[in-house]
Amino acid sequence: MRALLALSLVAVPLLASAHHSIQAQFDIYKTIQVTGTVARMEFINPHSYLTVNVKEADGKVTKWAFEMTGLAGLRRAGLSRADRGGLKAGDALTVIALAARDGSNSGLAQELKMGDGRVFKLLADAPDAPPATSR
Amino acid sequence: MPVSRRVIATAAALCFATAAAFAQNPAPRASLRTTNAPPKPTGTTPRTADGHPDLTGVWNGLGDNLNGVPNQIANNGIAIESETLARDLHSGQIVTVFPRLNNRALNNEQAERAAALLRRSGSNRPIYKPEYWDMVKYNDHNANEEDPSNNCMPAGIPRGAIPSYIAQCPSHVMFVYPGQGGLIATQTMYRMIPTDGRKHTPLQELDGTYTGESIAHWEGDTLVVDSLGFNANTWFDQIGGYMHGENMHVVERFKRDGNTLTWTVTVEDPDYLLEPWTSTPRVALLNPNPSAMLPESQPCSERDLAHIVTKEHH
Repeated sequence: MRALLALSLVAVPLLASAHHSIQAQFDIYKTIQVTGTVARMEFINPHSYLTVNVKEADGKVTKWAFEMTGLAGLRRAGLSRADRGGLKAGDALTVIALAARDGSNSGLAQELKMGDGRVFKLLADAPDAPPATSR
Repeated sequence: MPVSRRVIATAAALCFATAAAFAQNPAPRASLRTTNAPPKPTGTTPRTADGHPDLTGVWNGLGDNLNGVPNQIANNGIAIESETLARDLHSGQIVTVFPRLNNRALNNEQAERAAALLRRSGSNRPIYKPEYWDMVKYNDHNANEEDPSNNCMPAGIPRGAIPSYIAQCPSHVMFVYPGQGGLIATQTMYRMIPTDGRKHTPLQELDGTYTGESIAHWEGDTLVVDSLGFNANTWFDQIGGYMHGENMHVVERFKRDGNTLTWTVTVEDPDYLLEPWTSTPRVALLNPNPSAMLPESQPCSERDLAHIVTKEHH
C-alpha cells in the first residue's frame, strides 16, 4: 500500500461523512449540472435531500434527487429556513453535483447556483476543503 | 437559534428535579476536531443528595454536528492523536501514520479507505466460535447490505455506546441517544433504567428488544448497567460485523470524572462468543455550556443503499 492514504480517516465520519462510502455511490471525478426548480428540501438523516423538478423538452417533469451534506454543513453553507436565505419550493436553480454511478437521476450536491444569483457551496464535508461560504 | 426541546422535555418530565439545570441555548459550535484522543478530565465531579456521582448532563462535548452524537462512532479503540499519529488504545501501539492529501477528490477517496482500514486495526476484538468466523467476516465485507443499523433502524445496545443525554433521578436514570446520520443511519433510542434494586425479569419471559431490559446499581462511584432480553437485529459494535444472539448479556460501566464520562462494556454471548468481550474504554465530554440542551434529531429516511454499486464502506 502506498503512502497516499490520508489521515483524515476517522475525522471523516466526524465531519458528517456519508453513512456509506461516497465513492461506492458517486463518481468523485465526474461532475454534472442539472437545472430546474426546487421541489422540496428535506433536513433528514442520514443525509439531507434536495429534490429538483426538471422540465424536459416535451414538457414532462423529471425528478432529480440530490444528497446533501449534514445539517451542520448545510447551516454553515447558509442553507436554513427559506426566509433566512435558504431554499423554497419553486426557486429556480442549477445544481452542480457528483454523478451517481448507477446512472440514476441523482447526485451528491456540491454547489447550488440560484436563479437570483445566490451561490451555495457545499464542500465542507472534507477536512481539506475550503470553508463553505454563501453570498 | 430555536431549538426543539421535545426529547429533553420528555426526559425532564420524568425527572423534574434536574430540569431546571438546563436553559435554552446550545453551546456555540466548536471548531471541527481533527483528532479524537480521549479527552482529559477537568473540574470536580458533582454528587447527588444520596452521595452518588451525578451523571446528569448533555454528554456531547465532543460533538461535531448539531446533535453531538459521535459518542456512538468515535474511537473504535483507535485514538487519532495528531495529524501524524494514531494509537491502538488497547495495546498502546502506534498503528499507522499517514500523510494528509490536499487534493480534495483524492483526499475523500483515500481518506475513506484509510479510515476503513484504520478503524479495523484495533487489537481488541471479540473472539467468536470458529463456526461463525466466516459469517462475521461476510457481515463486515458486505456491511452495505448486512449492517442492520445502516437503514434507519436502532443501533441497539451496546453499539449505542454513551448516551448524549443522561438524567439521573433517585429511582432511575434516563438515557437518550439521538438518531443520527453521519457514519450510520439510526433512529432515536431512549432507555429508562431503574436503580431501585429490582431484579431482572427471567430471560425467557422477555420479548427481545433493541435495548433489552436494563437494571442498574452502584459499585462505589461506578454506575453498572446490566442488560439482557435483546433481539438479534443489531451488531454490538460499529464495525466488524459483530452479530449476536438473543441470549446476549451486556454489562456497561459508567464512571464520571469531572467533565468526562468513561464507558466500558462487557458482552457475553454464550451462543456466538468463545469468551466475554470487554471494550476499550470510550470517553465522552460534557457539553461545555452548562445551559446546553439536546436538539431534536432529524427523522431518518434511507435512500442511498439502492444506488450503491460497490462493496466499499466505512
